[in-house]
Amino acid sequence: MRLRALVLKVHIYAGLLTFTQVMIYGVAGLVATLQPGLERPKVARAVRYMPFTVALSASDKEVAAAVYARLAPPLARPVPDWFLRRTADNDLLLDFYNVNGIWRVVVLESSHQLRIEEIRNRLGYFLSDIHAATPNDAGAPRLVRLWGLYNEAAMWCLLGFCASGLYLWLSAAGRERWAWGCLASGSAVLAALWMAFR
Amino acid sequence: MYKTLRSVHLLLASACLPFLVLYGLSAVQMAHGSWFTMKPSVRDSALSLPPGLTDARVVAAEVTRRAPAARGELTGIKAGADDLTLRLVLPGTVHEVRYQRTSGETRLKTSVGGTMAMLNRLHHAAGLWHEPLALRLWGWVVGVVSAALMVTGATGIWMWFARRSERRLGAVLLLLNLVVAIGLLVMMRLEGP
Repeated sequence: MRLRALVLKVHIYAGLLTFTQVMIYGVAGLVATLQPGLERPKVARAVRYMPFTVALSASDKEVAAAVYARLAPPLARPVPDWFLRRTADNDLLLDFYNVNGIWRVVVLESSHQLRIEEIRNRLGYFLSDIHAATPNDAGAPRLVRLWGLYNEAAMWCLLGFCASGLYLWLSAAGRERWAWGCLASGSAVLAALWMAFR
Repeated sequence: MYKTLRSVHLLLASACLPFLVLYGLSAVQMAHGSWFTMKPSVRDSALSLPPGLTDARVVAAEVTRRAPAARGELTGIKAGADDLTLRLVLPGTVHEVRYQRTSGETRLKTSVGGTMAMLNRLHHAAGLWHEPLALRLWGWVVGVVSAALMVTGATGIWMWFARRSERRLGAVLLLLNLVVAIGLLVMMRLEGP
């Protein structure tokens, strides 16, 4: 098999094997473009209460660990020590993040309850977050790491598409001259913006 | 039809090629941080501003007037009892400003990242809401490249389908991708909140 035919096959098959991820990269870019500001909207879609009694003389860190053990929020990790906060009423505030949003928990010590707000990311934000997953985060849940593995393969494929696509174009019999103009335009825009930032 | 789609695929991909390489390389850097050195070069300097300024925007404008290279998006404003700190940020470059209100003395700390740091910051820069014009333009470019990437993918699928010899194995690969990827996404999405 000629080299060009082989490269074309690999280009096509790798594209088919990572089609969903490539589309998600595009969606992530569009979501970031249309996001109205740095902060995403955080609107609770549901609020519920759960009985919970804080152990005597427990530190905030221990309370946070107890709440995490009690709720066991899927795909979320314990709240790190540096992220323990208090509300205006001095109640302990715990945000358990995952790719879908936040479980915002307020520990209401006096009424022996947890107030749990469910803040769900829109589908676009979910796809935007998941496009950044990698398998190297040892503490990530298994499902996210599995996705991260596939995502990393797609990342390498994206670079592969660039190299193989360039080769396929340059080795084609009837090269389209317009493509040179497009490549030069893209390079010029990137170079100009790069210099503007430097 | 095939010829038109091939032209669209080629022209969009060639226009976006520099950006796709940027996103690909920076993704590798983020996935394998230990492979790269990201230490920025840091420079300190002193400026003398009028005393008594309370508005961070005025302080930022005064800093840029005296040191034109110190420009960017105004963020991280913190007002203390006698001082005001702020940051002027552009992808790859951060200017940290500490202004003493009583004396007007100002410290300017500039951190400039290397090429990989710049790629990393450009990967994260997006949106049309920024104040600096260059960042807004970059936001438009990100939107156009993202849309072009999706069209390139879609035309690629169409061209594959038009090639009878690749259809059977290709269908298996595409189905595998759709089932595994969408399956994983749905499983994650169902976990809540």
